[in-house]
Amino acid sequence: MAVIQVYSHAIQQKYKASVCSKATFFQLCVFILTVVPPLIFAYKSQGFWLKLSSYVEQPDIRFKYQLLVILDTADDYLAWSTFQNFNSLQQSHIRIPLVKSREEDVNRDGKKDLLHFSLEMPVTDTEDIFALQLLLFFDYRLYKFSEFTMESMAYVHHSAMQSGAEYSTDGHLILVQRQPLAHRGVDSRYNNTSIDQESIFAEAYDFKRIFKEYNSRNVTTRYDADYSVWVRGRGSGMPFTITITVRYPEESVTYTPGFWQVMKDAWIQYLAVLIIFVLVFDRIKKYVFKNQLVTTIVDRRVKPHDT
Amino acid sequence: MGIPGIVPARFLTLIAHLVITWIIFWSRGDNILACLPQSYSQDEYNRKDMQLVVGLSVSLGLIAVELVGFFTGISMFMPTVALVSIASHASGSIALAYFIFDVWDCDLYWWVFSFCSCTPALLEISTAFAVIVLKKGL
Repeated sequence: MAVIQVYSHAIQQKYKASVCSKATFFQLCVFILTVVPPLIFAYKSQGFWLKLSSYVEQPDIRFKYQLLVILDTADDYLAWSTFQNFNSLQQSHIRIPLVKSREEDVNRDGKKDLLHFSLEMPVTDTEDIFALQLLLFFDYRLYKFSEFTMESMAYVHHSAMQSGAEYSTDGHLILVQRQPLAHRGVDSRYNNTSIDQESIFAEAYDFKRIFKEYNSRNVTTRYDADYSVWVRGRGSGMPFTITITVRYPEESVTYTPGFWQVMKDAWIQYLAVLIIFVLVFDRIKKYVFKNQLVTTIVDRRVKPHDT
Repeated sequence: MGIPGIVPARFLTLIAHLVITWIIFWSRGDNILACLPQSYSQDEYNRKDMQLVVGLSVSLGLIAVELVGFFTGISMFMPTVALVSIASHASGSIALAYFIFDVWDCDLYWWVFSFCSCTPALLEISTAFAVIVLKKGL
């Protein structure tokens, strides 16, 4: 009749020795050789300690309804802003435009996805616009890891050889990081305004100073517009129009991982190499102890006559 | 006589160590450059070269001593000596393989030499002394 194996179990064999013996010394050496080399291997093959990681999040961007616009004519300039003190300083250069803006949440996820902005500056027929500089201010927030809040800026500028009727541009407000963000906590280092609204001095509205301070930050935004159109030939009586679409894209944010994430990652790498060493040295130990290369007391759990 | 495979294991690790030491003998250039500063003189190079050559030659000599002791059967059937010899020569071969591939500093050779060449050779010599002179283990 055919015979099959129905069951099996291991019989444990113990090897005992005194504390000061060759066997104990051998076991200690093998233990160190099993535990330490995987750490060395995992470390020397790079990437053991996770220093940088990234996550993807769509930031919560809101237009603050603050702007500053300067248009250059042939020998003069026109300016306007939402800052009262700046407007007072400009005196005769002030021209009040018609500003329309609307933020749209395309995918209805609660976060705005783009800003439609248009500015119509009334100009006389003799005033030819050759250049424009426009600052738009946004409130920028990230929530997933650290609660990051900052004031961000979009700088739109263009200069042309011919006078224009309209400037239209479509671009993205992208995050520029010079330093990874934290993995938790509240981060509002850059939540201060680039322009001090209360200031009555012209330096507060000097673009050079604003840009220098803004660029000194470690986290900023940049308006990235490759697609801009300068339309020439303004009809008589028509205003100079600026049409801007600012899109708020989903960003890949780099951050410094926290302690436990680093530990988890390191442990996985260590364990993966450790298992190989454990298996190899287990075979070696079995050979050594079974053949009594080091003398021990052999203690069989199950005696041959036991059931 | 009863331990299966221990004699071949000892022989193989000894030969592996011998072969790899011989290979380092012929390809030691990169290792010497690794332990010299960026700008070095020919004298410094020759000095380091001489040191490494001496180390390698002594290592080859010690392996030869051990082979003699092994083949003449003095320590062929002693488990402890076999264990120490296998462990030293195996770890020595692995370390010297890293020495070649990772282009280690030539000064690191002395560590490998002391632990993996001197230890088994000294053990072999003392075993030979114990067996021949003191008549133990016969």
